Amino acid sequence: MIDEWLVFLLLFLAPVVSSIPIALAYKSKGWTEKLPYLSVFGIFVSVLMSLYILFVVPKNQQFVYDWVPDLGINIVLITDYLSRYMGVITALIAFFIAIYGLDYMRGDYRPSWYWFFFNLFTASMLLVVYSDNLFLLFVGWEGLGAASWGLIGHWFRDDDEIAYVGVPKRKVGPLELSWPPSFGGWRAISTIRFGDVPMFFAIAAIWVFAGTLNISEINWESLFLTIGCAGTIILLVLLLLGLLTKSAQVPFSEWLMTAMTGPTTVSALLHSATMVAAGAFVFIKLTWYIKPWELHHVPGLNYVYIFALFIGLISGLYGALSASGMLERKVLLAASTMSSLGLMFGVAAASYWIHEEIAGMNFALLVAFWYMAVHAFAKASLFLVSGHLIHATHSRFSVGDFEFGKRMKTAFGVTIIATTFLIGMPPFTAYWVKSGMDEVMEHLIHHGMVIPIVLLILTSLVYSAILARFLSLNFIKGEKPEHEHVEGGGLMKLGYVMMVSMLFVLVYLIFTSAETAGFVHAGFIPTSFAVGMAILVAYVIAIYKPRIPSLAKLGAFFNDRMYLPFVNDYILPKTGFFVSHLVQDYGNRGIDGFFNTKVMPGLFERISKGIRTIQTGYLTNYVKIVLGLVMIFLVIASIGGILI
Amino acid sequence: MIMLYFLLLPLIVVFIAPLLTPKKSTYLSSLAFIIPFFSILYCIFRGCPSEIHIMNFSPPIGEIYLNFDFISNAFGLTICVVSAMVALFALPYMKHRFEEMERNVESEFRRYIFLYDLYAVSMLWLVYSGNLILLYIFLEITLITAFLLIYFYGYGNRRWVGLLYLIWCAIAGVLTLAGFIIIAFDPVNNTLALKGITAVGMLAWGFIFVGMLIELPVLGPHIWLPWAHAEAPTPVSALLSPLTVGLAGYVLLRIALIDYSFIETYRMPILAYAIFSSIYAGFSVFKQTDFKRLLAYSTVSQMGYILVALCLGPFGLIGLVIQYMSHAFGKSILFSSAGGIIAVHHGLRDINKMGGLHDSIPGISNAAVVGFLNLGGILTVGMLGEFFILRGVVDTFLRPDSPSFLGWTGSLPILLAVIFMFILSVWYGFYTIRKVFYGKPKDTKRLEISRYFYVPLFIIGILSVLLLFPPLSTALIQGLNAIPGLGLGGVVP
Repeated sequence: MIDEWLVFLLLFLAPVVSSIPIALAYKSKGWTEKLPYLSVFGIFVSVLMSLYILFVVPKNQQFVYDWVPDLGINIVLITDYLSRYMGVITALIAFFIAIYGLDYMRGDYRPSWYWFFFNLFTASMLLVVYSDNLFLLFVGWEGLGAASWGLIGHWFRDDDEIAYVGVPKRKVGPLELSWPPSFGGWRAISTIRFGDVPMFFAIAAIWVFAGTLNISEINWESLFLTIGCAGTIILLVLLLLGLLTKSAQVPFSEWLMTAMTGPTTVSALLHSATMVAAGAFVFIKLTWYIKPWELHHVPGLNYVYIFALFIGLISGLYGALSASGMLERKVLLAASTMSSLGLMFGVAAASYWIHEEIAGMNFALLVAFWYMAVHAFAKASLFLVSGHLIHATHSRFSVGDFEFGKRMKTAFGVTIIATTFLIGMPPFTAYWVKSGMDEVMEHLIHHGMVIPIVLLILTSLVYSAILARFLSLNFIKGEKPEHEHVEGGGLMKLGYVMMVSMLFVLVYLIFTSAETAGFVHAGFIPTSFAVGMAILVAYVIAIYKPRIPSLAKLGAFFNDRMYLPFVNDYILPKTGFFVSHLVQDYGNRGIDGFFNTKVMPGLFERISKGIRTIQTGYLTNYVKIVLGLVMIFLVIASIGGILI
Repeated sequence: MIMLYFLLLPLIVVFIAPLLTPKKSTYLSSLAFIIPFFSILYCIFRGCPSEIHIMNFSPPIGEIYLNFDFISNAFGLTICVVSAMVALFALPYMKHRFEEMERNVESEFRRYIFLYDLYAVSMLWLVYSGNLILLYIFLEITLITAFLLIYFYGYGNRRWVGLLYLIWCAIAGVLTLAGFIIIAFDPVNNTLALKGITAVGMLAWGFIFVGMLIELPVLGPHIWLPWAHAEAPTPVSALLSPLTVGLAGYVLLRIALIDYSFIETYRMPILAYAIFSSIYAGFSVFKQTDFKRLLAYSTVSQMGYILVALCLGPFGLIGLVIQYMSHAFGKSILFSSAGGIIAVHHGLRDINKMGGLHDSIPGISNAAVVGFLNLGGILTVGMLGEFFILRGVVDTFLRPDSPSFLGWTGSLPILLAVIFMFILSVWYGFYTIRKVFYGKPKDTKRLEISRYFYVPLFIIGILSVLLLFPPLSTALIQGLNAIPGLGLGGVVP
């Protein structure tokens, strides 16, 4: 039996420590070609440790190590259901992507930077997953933010058009809708920070009012009742801001689109098991322990959950619709990810109204979590494929005809599997989970909410169509690529084949695990089957007709993300720079002029000059001054005399 | 008693270092701060006598002693490591500067290292001073030495800037002294020894507060700072901004621990002023074209954090200490990286002419990232600082048993303002990084630069990360928390 602390130490530190050598050897070309293997090995150690935790370490147990024990800030790790599985998912996906990255990033101009941040990214996510202490979780959370900044802006030179998002020099109104990598990085961290600080504040408030930072130990009911209705709403909305910005829900979705300026491996990791998933994961985890379905008597809580439900579902539809007009491979997938995350948020929020429990766990949360798992492997596969396609065609736009598809057999096959398994087509993996989702949203009708199920079905149909479109435009009905470079890429293929094969494992698990029995049950309900068939129809139609010329204008509107970039790229910066202009050109210049350069120095100069002009040396001047002083004295004295 | 000798060591080196060659004197100066650094570290882990008696004066001066509590240790630790590392960085930089000024490097370095060491050591002694008059003396020594350094080796119109700095800080010093004297002649106290002072009247508080606001500085008096920071030779900027101005926060903290009534009475106006000042300076950063001036405005913004923390009760005060450390680490790294750019790229300071510098100087660029992570409180000790300040907000305004209780809706504007204040640092930080280091490079050739330009910066950076995690943070935070008036030991006023 190995001590648990050693397992956790290896789990978190192996990726970081193993990437330090390559970070230090940044000057040596020879070393930076060899050392990535060490970094990948570090992630492999994490995989082993996460598997060890899944199978050997006792379940539902807390492990506490001192940090600042007097104040309740401790290293508290937990092995509950969510952490155990999510840990394995994270480590495995990072490992597969890392193998792929050995090929994909070969010959890059700064491998040290890439591998250091890639491994930091993985370690941070693992910290978020296993942490029970909110402060520790936030350390991992900030690690995600910093690492994503580093990776998205990896190609900092902005000199290669292939790393841009948007069509260079394409202008819509006053805005040029194209973004270079260095901008993508800055956009990511500035948006995320906008949510992180409110979340940090909420954590501080929980610390004060709950008396503990450990998620599983907080008595949420008494916490909410103590702070009252307004307190509950403000606290949870501030907390949610952190999760929603991380998960790129509307209106914070822009950073996710411009994040596609990073290397594809980064996009794959960012979109599946880390970063954006972190927001949804933490929401599921918090809801898991808040148990809102038991807290209907807490005032204010229902508003928060309705808010989360609709933000999620609206983001779902917004993402899917936006993707329907996109031609850039990665941006299309990014918008679809946003859509999926919206569904996760929506379903997890619906748990407020769901009392059904399976194996002691809330059904809605199980659905959200399993959808996250399926989505992670499927989306990562699709990203890895599109990275390979970018290498093969030297284009980030969807191109590829059937001839090309035949030459890229592995990628073609993997895309077919990943898309069909993800959209919810019967009988593949996601169908069962999505049926559960249908059931959850259907249940909301009993609570007077019809819109959620409508939004869900609409989103599912559009979602199915966009992934079919992705398949069709890249392998079947796209234009013939100008460049074709289909040889090699062995490790890349290995990476996405392993990734996609996990979807079969998941479908096996769905049919054999006790907690997923509800999904199978839901899958055999006729309405779920009808939705599944509709999804299938949408998929087939979109493959057959991926582009509809008569809707080109609508497509352009969707492609421009319904002009949301105007908020992020026009209104906000214009306002900010206007304030800066005011404070700098009026405020600072005015104060500087007053104290340092004009008014005060001028005043002193004049007084000094005045005093100096007195000292001319003429006796008459001094006599005049003395007489004047005497006169003043006499006046004062006489007034004083009268008064007395 | 042994701690006294460790503190005397850099003081002795002040007079030995000028006798040596530039390289040797730099190593000696650096070592003279590294040794006390480790001894302070030992103190933090193992504890040491809380004070060392030096001598007694008649009232109203009272006992002169050195104070070794966790607050002094936290500040002292920071001063030691920053001074030691900046001294190393300054070796190639000042040589370059003397050559640029067409002076004799060897002889000019003697004068410089004497002033530098005296400057740094007076700050170190300031934070250990147990008597306000001793503290004041060291405050004035820092002022004069920094003035001379700017006057002799600054850029641009350095003589004018030097005088500007001298006048502003002299006003600050005099006001503070007036406050100290009023404390001394208060019959309740009749002493200037920190442990003997029991009450600080409103008038004394007012003088000290205004004086320290100028030194800190906040909006209004802040206007001396961009001049001084921009035109000072970079190693001096790298001490002036991280260490010296924050010492005003230290003085305010010491006075607040004796008597919090002033802050309690004027909490809302001070807090509003501090937040406004911080946000104002944060917005100013975006418009700067001179890299060092930009960093100077960021200092004003960060000093706003310190003043905010001062208003937020026991946890805010812990936040103040951590914020000082984190800002000192971050800003010393950043000023040094600005200096690195100046030295390597022939006086380049204009941000509009930068862009893509990461290609030619990756070491300096990466160090600057760590610097901005410190300012933003991401993955560095600054995270703890922000956390305690945020907790201070909750304790002060949201707890029903607090006298300043405003309720959740009532305090919402304050919450949002403080949150925005923290957000702004990361915004301007990463905006600047992108503008300076990323984007299309003008020159992709990697320059071979001296290791002194970035290795010391990474040492500071690594320390700032280590301080977030056990065992360092365990010892430090628990120690601070145990001080009466701080953390859980304090009563929310």
